Amino acid sequence: MFNKWKLTGAAIAVAIAGAAQANPYEPYEGTTLVVNFPAHPHYDAAIAVLDQFTEETGIEVEVDQLQYLRMRERQTLELTKDEGDYDLIAYVVFSKADYVYADQLENLAKYFMNPALADPDYDQSDLISGYVQNIGVAGGAKGYLPGQLGSAFGVPFGSETSVLAYRRDIFEKHGLEAPETYDDLLELACQIPELEPGMGGMASRAASGHQASHAFLLHLAPLGGRVFDDAWNPIINNEAGVAAANALKTIVDCGPEGGTTFGPAEAAAAAFRQGQAAMFMDSIAFAATFEDPTQSTVAGNVGYAMHPMGVRRASQTGGFGLAIPSNAQNKEAAFLLLQWLTSKEGDLAVAMEGGNPSRFSTYQNAELNAKFPYSATFGEALEFADPDWRPIIPVWGGINADIGTTLSQVLTEDLDPQEALDGVAERARATMEEAGYYTWADAE
Amino acid sequence: MLANANRLTPYLFLAPAAAVMAIALLYPIGYMIYASFLDWNPSQRIGEADWVGLRNYANLLSDAAFRESFWVTIKFAVLVVSIEMVLGVGLALLLDRELRGMTLLRTVFILPMMIAPIVVGLVWRYMYHPTVGTFNKVLNDLGLPSAPWLSDGNWAFASIVIADIWQWTPFIFILSLAALQSLPRSAMEAARIDGATGWQLIWHIKLPLMLPVLIVTALLRLIDAFKVLEVILVMTNGGPGLSTEILALRISRTASEFRELGYAAAMSNLLLILLLFLTLAMFAYTKLTEARAARLAAAKEVEVG
Repeated sequence: MFNKWKLTGAAIAVAIAGAAQANPYEPYEGTTLVVNFPAHPHYDAAIAVLDQFTEETGIEVEVDQLQYLRMRERQTLELTKDEGDYDLIAYVVFSKADYVYADQLENLAKYFMNPALADPDYDQSDLISGYVQNIGVAGGAKGYLPGQLGSAFGVPFGSETSVLAYRRDIFEKHGLEAPETYDDLLELACQIPELEPGMGGMASRAASGHQASHAFLLHLAPLGGRVFDDAWNPIINNEAGVAAANALKTIVDCGPEGGTTFGPAEAAAAAFRQGQAAMFMDSIAFAATFEDPTQSTVAGNVGYAMHPMGVRRASQTGGFGLAIPSNAQNKEAAFLLLQWLTSKEGDLAVAMEGGNPSRFSTYQNAELNAKFPYSATFGEALEFADPDWRPIIPVWGGINADIGTTLSQVLTEDLDPQEALDGVAERARATMEEAGYYTWADAE
Repeated sequence: MLANANRLTPYLFLAPAAAVMAIALLYPIGYMIYASFLDWNPSQRIGEADWVGLRNYANLLSDAAFRESFWVTIKFAVLVVSIEMVLGVGLALLLDRELRGMTLLRTVFILPMMIAPIVVGLVWRYMYHPTVGTFNKVLNDLGLPSAPWLSDGNWAFASIVIADIWQWTPFIFILSLAALQSLPRSAMEAARIDGATGWQLIWHIKLPLMLPVLIVTALLRLIDAFKVLEVILVMTNGGPGLSTEILALRISRTASEFRELGYAAAMSNLLLILLLFLTLAMFAYTKLTEARAARLAAAKEVEVG
């Protein structure tokens, strides 16, 4: 009898403890979070699992989805308001500098220190460190690179690096090997249109502005170049810069028709997926759409290789992070969503829907590798992801647009690459001077 | 006292309208002029921006990209307005007659200008598409090579000109037609009795009589052509290079991509000044024709008297 009571008591105690532990979400039940996401394959996958979040937590989520450059514009305005409409935002990596510099994002430390909010099983060390540093952390070396004094303002979600996707069937047919180096890549890019009339060598972004700049920077780092040296002097016009511009020109010239107007969607969707190009080197985010037979005519015929090597291996780091705006109205509930989406379970669930993992454990997951066989190559590529392939500083937006517009002139108006980059360097120097980057150098 | 009140009454009634004008019109313009003296990025509130005096304007003068886009705008505006005038007036002259189904035809003609600009941009962008676009498909079917509609600087410029002509010729057509139909029949009958041929009728009677309307129409179109944005934004986003980057687009990119609101405001002010001159020219012309008409009428009275 006594024993029975003891047991019941223990059961009740366990039940109470369980209830207290199982529902950290209870205080926020019924809250509606408004989140701002980009129109992007990863976020489409994320949206697919949001119902699961609502079911588990009772927190509703309303998504405002925009093309990523428009999304950035909207956020810029939204973040200056006293009371913002967004509780959680996905920001594109180069916005990190703008938002953090203007003090518009919540430092995440206080949330991870709050025992009622922070999930003890979150396992930070499992997050891919390169992405965390590149996307989430600000205030380290040069302000945007890894460094001891940086702290996290966001968590990578939808992080990307670059890989080379190629048509295995076409390569096998002509006895070609996936290129290992830039020399091989450029040779192949122009060889393919001869072997397969009507097919472009490699599809690439190249549209005037951000897209052309992105494509150029993709080649700049592996070919040994940088936009600035360590003292912020523009070195984009050195030998490596000219080589990168020439590489881009070769690729676009030998690429599919109309390539100079391509954004990533045209290059990936229209050209590569419809079989008009034999190679595509860009973010891993597009891979899932290549393998989807309802969208892609090349599903099952795509091979993946590492971003070829120039004088070094350096694939891009990019994509998006999740952050809580300082003017958000439901910050704690927003943190819970951020934590849920980037947790081991969340990351895996999104990856299974075709998203890009931000955790090592997700890349090692057997189920994922069975569903998306390319995951292994992508995990390998991460090792060479270069966090400094483009500078993330507040004045980058203007310089980036200038690089992209000028390179578009190189691609379409036969402007000499050296001359073009000299102009970019000169204007970048003026911008940097104005923004105060030479204050310390001048003082010496 | 009462006389005084009487004199003030009209102003009293005008006051609400004046107040609305001041708030709705002058405030934004004042704001823009103020902003053009600031170094202001969109992550800052206007109060946090630094005052830089005339620096934005000084930078504009030495900005090669701005100069280029200024010339692109002038070239674009002059070219489209000239072609649209010729086509619009020509169509009006052709269709100024009683035809069966004329009302329907007229509605169909003005359809393009009723479509939202973003849609126009998208439709044309897909028609110009290098592989699946209508134009290249037709060219290929005829055995001709594809044209780089939007991917080569000169072609892209021609492409946006074509799209604009398609959209705005109807505007000129409809105004010219209205002008034609309100011309005094007597003048034309008199000319016909004197044995004027069709061409002579157009050249010496119709066009001169329509001229005041045509000039105002052309100026209205010119002002509009300087501000066109959405269609080009969607079709080319200013590319390739700077070949189609008209001023309105440059301003929009400066504000959103380059994140320099002060600089964008300075550009907008220059555009505003330019348009102001055009508007003044339009008013001056109207005044001039009115004065001339009054002079003629007075002379006529003297003659008759």
